[in-house]
Order: sequence, then structure tokens, then C-alpha cells
Amino acid sequence: MSYSFTLNGQTVEATTPGLTPLLTVLRDQHGLQGAKLGCGEGRCGSCTVLVDDQPVAACLFPVANVAGRAVRTVEGLAAPGAPLTPVQDALLDHGGVQCGACIPGVVMTLTALLESEPAVDAATAKEALTGNICRCTGYVKIVEAAVAASGRGDQA
Amino acid sequence: MLTTVVSPDVRSPGSIDDAVRQLTDLGADAMPLAGGTWIMRAGLRGETPRRCYVSLDRIAELRRYSVGDVVELGAQLTHRDLTSITTGPAATALRQAAALSAFPQVRNVATLAGNIAATGFAAADLVPALLAGQAEVELAGPEGPHRTTLASYLTSRDQRPSGELITAVRLPAPPGRFSAFERLTVRVGGEYAVANVAVSVDVDAGGSVHDARIAVGAVEPVATLGPARALIGHPVGDDDAAQAAGEAVAAGLTPREDPDAPGWYRVAVVPTLVRRAVAQLPQLIDH
Ligand SMILES: Cc1cc2nc3c(=O)[nH]c(=O)nc-3n(C[C@H](O)[C@H](O)[C@H](O)COP(=O)(O)OP(=O)(O)OC[C@H]3O[C@@H](n4cnc5c(N)ncnc54)[C@H](O)[C@@H]3O)c2cc1C
Ligand code: FES
Ligand code: FES
Repeated sequence: MSYSFTLNGQTVEATTPGLTPLLTVLRDQHGLQGAKLGCGEGRCGSCTVLVDDQPVAACLFPVANVAGRAVRTVEGLAAPGAPLTPVQDALLDHGGVQCGACIPGVVMTLTALLESEPAVDAATAKEALTGNICRCTGYVKIVEAAVAASGRGDQA
Repeated sequence: MLTTVVSPDVRSPGSIDDAVRQLTDLGADAMPLAGGTWIMRAGLRGETPRRCYVSLDRIAELRRYSVGDVVELGAQLTHRDLTSITTGPAATALRQAAALSAFPQVRNVATLAGNIAATGFAAADLVPALLAGQAEVELAGPEGPHRTTLASYLTSRDQRPSGELITAVRLPAPPGRFSAFERLTVRVGGEYAVANVAVSVDVDAGGSVHDARIAVGAVEPVATLGPARALIGHPVGDDDAAQAAGEAVAAGLTPREDPDAPGWYRVAVVPTLVRRAVAQLPQLIDH
């Protein structure tokens, strides 16, 4: 079957069985390797992408259900060589990135959060990040970065 | 390794009638596909996937809802949708259950009907909230639409006729009804509950409980209603009555054993969860 959707703003067509995980389509057919296969069962968040602006676990999202929707991945946030987004800058500035494996997922979760919440405090950021596991940073720097990126650095 | 087998076919009908027709024609070879958060893990559970799935994603009418003396909720509403659209104290337990389940990435996708219909899913969080609230499920099928209680749907959910579909859930919301939900997980969030409890009470003008229901999930293979008599005739929020009710409910449970938690432990935490849920109720009334 063939499924049409927008991927980082461009219309694409995926020709693959409908139960194929969106993550497989992104990585193997479109070469977008930002979203990672961690647990493959919805628990770690390393595969987080946005579908119609909401974070989802791409490892569990059947491609059939993406038809007609808008998918955004970390690659769509800033073009190569272009300035990073405030979330990406804040993560770097606050030392929120160590090995980086979780970061594409974290960035997408925080991007959705900042788009929907005008002012993010530490509690809101933590709640939003409950589905993103980071084995390196201990989360504190990531939460600080989220608060700073929303322009409320005083609440970190 | 991604754990799903990717070969099954998926159809995406645009109406309830077409979905019923396709599911009926395909029979045991097919099942509905909602958010897929349960189905996509079939391989992990050692289940053989169906040959075909009928996605409900394009059926707009399954996302409808209305509020009033009965809250009518479309099958395809997500857990996230439920946290915002269901207002009023009769639906507090449902709202809380939706907000406490899983993670944002799952809540944005997993649906109301998927939570009810996932065969073998003991820890579903929406289910006790709906059971305590005396919910009914609306079904479409080859014989036309019909309605049944959630309790009777649950006990038959692994042998429902092919071609059948949950289209909506009806949650009564009469004046004077209040509800609350509690669950225990080993860590804080994002996990299946050791036990989950919903309490729903009907309160008279004097603040005394005249009818009550307590539902428990995750302990037995399918969530059930337990005896809530001990709450009746007492002021809403009464802690002694809650303890008595919690003990009565726990005494009636036959727990499942699995690697996540021993059965005795699942039962042992139930009275405390009942007390916590009951303790929430007076604050809801004050609002
Ligand atoms: C990591 C992780 C953690 C989770 N934690 C929790 C948790 O703590 N609490 C919780 O409640 N849930 C949790 N879940 C979510 C659980 O998978 C969902 O609650 C739900 O059971 C599945 O909903 P779905 O829409 O994804 O269903 P699907 O996977 O699409 O379908 C599930 C079943 O329901 C059937 N079905 C779907 N819609 C209909 C319909 N309209 N009519 C008839 N049958 C239908 C399907 O045929 C299938 O058998 C978690 C999921 C993951 C991945
Ligand atoms: S790989 Fe998708 S949640 Fe872990
Ligand atoms: S930075 Fe290594 S897992 Fe998060």
C-alpha cells in the first residue's frame, strides 16, 4: 500500500505495508536517522517525532495512520548551516547533551511543549519529558534548558 | 530490532458502515486498528498478528463527543483528548485516569476503545474509571447498532463477534455524582499500575452518600466492580467508611500473578488506594 503524508513540510509517499512502524519508514526510506530505535516498545522516547504537532513514539506508530497528516522530525527544525532553534541552542548552552542518543526525541518533545505552552516551568517540562529516557544527563540540565528556551530562565 | 511483524495488510475505511462490512467479510483474519499502541506490540507478547487490520483512523464520526447528563465519547478519542474534553465531577476519575496513564507520546495516540478492547490488558487505566461510572459501550456490527454495559462487554471481550466495533462510550453524569481515580506504580509515571482504583458516589443535598461504586483494575485479569456498600449513608470523604469499603473490595479479589508484582501485593494496596480516592471527593464538591 502507498501512504501520502507531509514530512518536514514536503509531501511524500511511503509504499510499504500499513503496519510498518513510522520509524522504519523515516530511517530506512527517507534516510532521516535523527529519531532512534531504542526500546522499540514505546517506553524510551528516543524515536519521538511529531504527528500533527503532537509527540508520538514512531516505533509504535503504524504508517497507515500517518496518511494525510504532518510529520516533523529533528531534521526539519533547522536546515544545515542555518541557526538552531531556541530549544536546540538552550540544550547546548546548558550542557544538556552528553552522548546525544536521546536528544532528537527530547528536542521534539520540548519543541511541541514550547509551541503549545507560552511559559514553561520546571514542573511542566518534567511532566512533558516523562516519556523520554536519558541515561547520561540526569535530566537537570535538560529541564533547565527547557525553561530557559521558553524565556523563563529565572525558574530553572 | 523492531518487534512487530510488518507484513499484515491495513485497510482504512472512511465510515463505520464500511469498517463493519470489511471486518465482517474478513472475519477472524482481521481486527480493528485504533492507535496501535497495543497491536504494534503483539510480537512482544508472543501473539501471531492478524492477516489484516482495519484502521479506524479516517472515520471522523468516531472522534465526536458531547457532554450533558450523559457524556458521550467517540471510540477514537485519545487519552489526551479525554484529559481536556470531559468536564464535570462525574468524569473526574476518567480525566485523572487518562492523565496518569503511560506517557505523553502514548497518550497522544492510544484511544478510548483501544483501552477497553485490548484483550489481555489487565492494567488499563480508563477501564475502572468507566466501570465505576456505570458506562455503557455503543457497538456497531453486522446486526446493526446496539448498546451494552461496559461490565458485560469486558467479561466477553475475548469472544466478541467478528465485524463488531465499539463506536462510542456513554458515561452517565447526573447531578450530585462525584468520582476520583488513584493508581499505584513502582516508579512515579509511565508504567502499568500495580493496582488502579476508581470510586464514584452519588451524594444527597446533605452531603451524605446514597449510592456508590468502586472499581479495581490491574489486580485480576479484567477490572471489576467491588462491594461499595460501606460508603453508603456516610458523609462523603469519610475515612473509616473508605477503609471498610477498601477492605471489603480487597477481600473479594483473586489476584493474578506476574513478574511485575506478586498477587498478594496487588491486593494489599487496594484499601489504601480506595481511601486516597475517597479522600479526594470532598474537594471536588467544594469546587
Ligand atoms: C509503553 C506503554 C505504556 C503504556 N502504559 C499504559 C498505562 O499505564 N495505562 C493504560 O491504560 N494504557 C497504557 N498503555 C497504552 C495501551 O496500549 C492503550 O491504553 C490501549 O490499550 C491501546 O489503545 P490503542 O488505541 O493504541 O489500541 P490498538 O493497539 O489500536 O488496539 C487495541 C485493541 O483494541 C481493539 N480495538 C481498538 N479500537 C476498537 C474499537 N473501536 N472497537 C473494537 N475494538 C477495538 C483492537 O482490535 C485491539 O485488539 C501503554 C502503552 C505503551 C506503549
Ligand atoms: S524506540 Fe520508540 S519509544 Fe523506545
Ligand atoms: S545524552 Fe545520552 S542518553 Fe541522553
